[in-house]
Amino acid sequence: AMEIHGQKRPYRTTDLARMMYNLTMTPAEVVKKWRGEEDDDEEGDEADDDFFNKSKAQDPANLEDRHIPIFDYAALEAKWEDEEAIESLKSRFATGHMAGKGGD
Amino acid sequence: MAAEDPQPLLRFTGHRHLTTRLLLSTLTGRPIRISQIRSTSPTTPGLTPHEVSFLRLLDAVTNGTQIEFSMTGTTLVYRPGLITGSAEGLGAQGGVLRHEITRECAGRGVSWWIIPLCILAPFSKGSVNVTFWGEGCITSSTPAGDMSIDSVRTAILPLYKGFGIERNIEVRVLKRGCVPRSGVAAGGEVQVVFGHQVRVPKTLHLLNPGRVKKVRGVAYAVGVSGANNARAIESARGVLNKFVPDTYIFSDVSAAPQVESKEKGNPGGKKKGAVGFGVSLVAESSTGCLYSADVASPPTGGVTPEDVGKQAAYQLLETIEQGGCVEKSAAETVLCLMAMGSEDVGRVALGKDVIGDEDMVQLGRDLREFGGAGWGLRDKGEESEELVVSVVGRGVGNVGRKMA
Repeated sequence: AMEIHGQKRPYRTTDLARMMYNLTMTPAEVVKKWRGEEDDDEEGDEADDDFFNKSKAQDPANLEDRHIPIFDYAALEAKWEDEEAIESLKSRFATGHMAGKGGD
Repeated sequence: MAAEDPQPLLRFTGHRHLTTRLLLSTLTGRPIRISQIRSTSPTTPGLTPHEVSFLRLLDAVTNGTQIEFSMTGTTLVYRPGLITGSAEGLGAQGGVLRHEITRECAGRGVSWWIIPLCILAPFSKGSVNVTFWGEGCITSSTPAGDMSIDSVRTAILPLYKGFGIERNIEVRVLKRGCVPRSGVAAGGEVQVVFGHQVRVPKTLHLLNPGRVKKVRGVAYAVGVSGANNARAIESARGVLNKFVPDTYIFSDVSAAPQVESKEKGNPGGKKKGAVGFGVSLVAESSTGCLYSADVASPPTGGVTPEDVGKQAAYQLLETIEQGGCVEKSAAETVLCLMAMGSEDVGRVALGKDVIGDEDMVQLGRDLREFGGAGWGLRDKGEESEELVVSVVGRGVGNVGRKMA
C-alpha cells in the first residue's frame, strides 16, 4: 500500500487496477484515493484506527446498498442551467455538435 | 456432486452487498458465511426483514438450499442448492410463484428483489415466474435508492439482449404501489416472467456508447390526480428539450391499491394503500446503451410534480455525463452476467465515475473471491473519460442444469 502513496494524478487507470485487489484497503479508501480526494496528513498511522472505528464513523446514509446515488438537486440544477455544462454534454447527443469528439 | 465433497465456506463480513454475495454464491454453488451483519447496531442488529424476505425468495426458486442464522441474525450460513425456477411442488402454483413482501419490508422497493432475481433467472433449470405482492410491495422508486419498476423494465431487462437472452422476458406491473407513510400499506403487485434460460450467456463487447438519440419515460400517479403527471412531464421536458427533441414520456394514472384492512370490526374490509407520483426516464443511445433516472415523491409529501420532473431530468443528464456504455445502477447486472459467461474475454467501457465506486470495487473483489478472474482495466484511449473493463467468463454458467 505504501508505494501508491506518492501518486499525484487522480483517475489513473493503472492505479485503480493496482488498488482494486489490494485487500488491505477498504473499497471506500480505494475510491477516495483514486479520485485523489484524501487529505494525506492523517493517513499512515491512523489507518489502523480507521479500520476498527469504521462502522461507527460510517455515514448513516451510506449504510445501505443503493442503486440510485443521492444527488444534491440544488447543485445539479445550478450545474445544468450553466451554458458551458450544457454545451459540453451536447456532444453526447445525436443532435449535438457532430464535429464533437466521439463520432457515431 | 457438491453434497459429497463439502466446499469450504467463503467468509464475508458486513451487511453491504448481501444480495450480490448470495447471488454469486447461488450461481457458483459455493457456500458462504456472512458474519457481523449489523453487529454494531444498537437498535437493529442482524438481518432486516427485507433481507430475510430475499433469502426466502432464493429458497423458493432453488431446491436444496440450506440457510442457517445465528440467534441474533448477525451471522448467516448459506449453502446454495440448484436453481430450479418456479417449479411445481416447490412453492409455485400453476407455474407462478407468489412471493409476499410484508409491510415490514417496505424499506426497499420491489426492484431490490427483482434485479438480483433476474440475474439468477437465466441460469435456472426451468422458467422463472414470480409474482411479488403484499403490503410492502413498492413499485415506485424509493428514498432508499431503489429504482422504479418502470426503469427495471425499460433500462435493465433490455441489457439481457446483449447476452443472447431475449425471449419471453417480461416484467408486468399489475398494481402500482408507492412508498407508504407509516401505518399505510404499499400494496403493489408485479409479475416477473423470465422464460429464456441459457447454458452460458454470450460474451459481451460493449465499447461504443454512441450518442443519446431519444428519451422515453413513464410518469406515474397512484391515487392522486393525473394532472401531477402532466406537470412532471412538462418540467422534465423543459430541461431535456435542449438536448433531445425526441423525448416522450408516457403518463400512467392508476387508483390507489386496495389493501385488506385487517381491522377487527371489519373483516375482509379494504383500505386505501399509499399514494404518490413519480417519473422514470430512460435515455437510449444510437448503439443501444441505456441510461436511467428515477425520482418519486417522498412519502411525507410536500414536493411539487415540477420538482420531481426536473430532478429526474437532471439526474438523467448526470448519468449520461458519467459516460460509458453501462450506467451505475445496471453495472452489477452486466458485470455479473459477463463473469458467468463462456471462457472468453468480454469487454465493456465504463465511465470513470461508474467504476470508481465503492460498490463496484467490492463487486470486483467479490467476483474474484468466488473464483472468477480479476478484472482487467485499461484506458479506452487518450484523454478518454472511459476505461475498458475486461472480464473473463468462468464458463460455469448454468450450475443447476449441469448437475441435474
